[in-house]
Amino acid sequence: MLGHHEHIGDLYECHLVTRLWIVRARGGKTLLTGGSMAPLTERLSRWTLITFACALANFLLAQALIVLGFTWPSAALTGGATLAAVHLVTIGWLTLLMLGALSQFVPVITSRALLDQRLSAAALVLIEVGLVGMVTGFVTRDMARAPCAWCLVVGGLSVCAGVVLALVNLATPLLRTRPLPLPGRFVRAGFLFLIVTMSLGLLFAFTLRASVSSHGPLLHLASGVGYHAIAGVGGWLTLTAMGVSYKLLSMFMLAPEERGVLGEVVLGLGITGFGLTVAAGLLDLVWHGSVMILAERAGWLLIGASISAYLADLVRLYRARKRRRIELHNRAAAGAFISLAAALVTAAILVISGRAARVAPPLVVLALLGWLGGLGLTQLYKVIPFLSWLTRFGKMIGRGWVPRVQDLVCEPCAALWFFLYFAGVWLTVVGAAIETPLPMRGGAALSTLATLGLSREYWRAWRGTYVRLPPAVSSHAPTIQREDLRHGHP
Amino acid sequence: MAIREPRTLDLRDELRRGGEPLPQILEEVANLAPGQSLRLLTIFEPLPLYAVLGKKGFLHEATRRGEGDWEVLFTPGAASAEKLPSKRLSLATDDGAWPPAGTLLDNRGLQPPEPMIRILDALEHLQPGEVLEAINEREPQFLYPQLEERGAGIRVDRRADGVHLLVRRGL
Repeated sequence: MLGHHEHIGDLYECHLVTRLWIVRARGGKTLLTGGSMAPLTERLSRWTLITFACALANFLLAQALIVLGFTWPSAALTGGATLAAVHLVTIGWLTLLMLGALSQFVPVITSRALLDQRLSAAALVLIEVGLVGMVTGFVTRDMARAPCAWCLVVGGLSVCAGVVLALVNLATPLLRTRPLPLPGRFVRAGFLFLIVTMSLGLLFAFTLRASVSSHGPLLHLASGVGYHAIAGVGGWLTLTAMGVSYKLLSMFMLAPEERGVLGEVVLGLGITGFGLTVAAGLLDLVWHGSVMILAERAGWLLIGASISAYLADLVRLYRARKRRRIELHNRAAAGAFISLAAALVTAAILVISGRAARVAPPLVVLALLGWLGGLGLTQLYKVIPFLSWLTRFGKMIGRGWVPRVQDLVCEPCAALWFFLYFAGVWLTVVGAAIETPLPMRGGAALSTLATLGLSREYWRAWRGTYVRLPPAVSSHAPTIQREDLRHGHP
Repeated sequence: MAIREPRTLDLRDELRRGGEPLPQILEEVANLAPGQSLRLLTIFEPLPLYAVLGKKGFLHEATRRGEGDWEVLFTPGAASAEKLPSKRLSLATDDGAWPPAGTLLDNRGLQPPEPMIRILDALEHLQPGEVLEAINEREPQFLYPQLEERGAGIRVDRRADGVHLLVRRGL
């Protein structure tokens, strides 16, 4: 980039860009002034970044619960600590991450602004506070006399209120856009499943509260929880992740965005599959019958077909890319897609071998940590530097020296963490499959370490730690301080 | 107007040697037949030249052919940009008629944020009130706040071949 500018200087001196940057006043006239960054961009990025930071903290906490051996298989699968870890991952990490990412992506997908940025902030506070309540409720549930039985209900209500606010903010531009492009339709379907998941979750929280006060077991609860999980992990998180990944991957690999028939097949089968499985499964609890069981199995088949079509389409997308050398976030994302494929195979094995338990732990680990968590961590490695670059250097584009987005990251530094993360997750999967605590906790320790390492890389990208002034600028401008650069002031 | 072959000037070797090709370009422009275009081959996008030749009534269309390989076609005015119907109001005060665009940037096939950088780079080389045209693959959501901050106006027209943008430098 600098060479580029230097040549412009040779060609036409009075537009020499590097000099425009250094010499602020020429002939008494200020060519380039400092001042604050574009407030809109800054505000927008700041809330998104705080959301990402909260999401990462929740994820680390959940992984710590596994490492310390508080969760299954050391404790009961439906025990308080296990459920706390699961909800820290699904709500605290994945849902917050998705909502934060969507606050940047919905405007890109729909070409429309969000309803009100303040809603994102309010949603974050309500969800995070509610989650603390829920986790407290889960963890104290197993204690004698359940000292905080109401925590789960109140926390759940707060999370729901936060999600509703976020949905109002995000769904408004989605519903106003016609025709809605494919990624947008994935997200719209995901939102419907999010509402279903939330309603079921709230129902369980109330039921659990009732069961605690009446000290009576509720048989329906355990069997219904699986469908709450399928609606959440499948319908909400997986469909949305598919839609967002289509957009993100094609944008940064210069691959065709039009997914044609295959993209429609993935979406159609996905919605029908997850919808049918959840609806039939829940109805089966009320009206037990062979039709419902058959419908649920058909649903599972459709889900499998949808995921297979998605993976096939991804292979097509990677192959059709115009950019040969792809950046680390898209190379590392392969770990997430391999996890999804492995989840598909695991599910098939479980079904064929007749061990299709409602909650199959290795499947859950593959889906939550491998597929969704892996995709989240890898894509954050592009989203955060991009937002940082935009916030810090946006004002200087065309007016002075600006680094490339990739100058904000150190790919070799992060590559090792991505490798460790997926290695850790797959070790956790093995531990879950053989129901042995040691490999599970060891794997989780690896992935926790990797998440910490990646968090540091995100922080460095956000702070601009890796940005180096080119020699031509720094040698002519001894007065430019790194701190000025970080704050976007020339 | 008689259609003539554009005159080609390959500056790549000279630029790599660190040469000073501006006089040569200006001489070449002076020697063009009426209506004839000039095709420049360079190793970077010659942004400042757009302003120089724009003042002489040339429109330009830049194509990036590869790493460090650009082709820029300078066409004499007249066939100036058609007036685009705008679907979206400009961010800055919109006072009706805008002058025809003197610069055309084809940003299709570029990875974000390259389209935004090219538009803002070119915008800074416009005179107040001047207009540039750009064709993007998608609406540049992240560009709007930057234009707002610079007091520039934008008109957006979504077409089958891409999103056509008219960007005017603030007065």
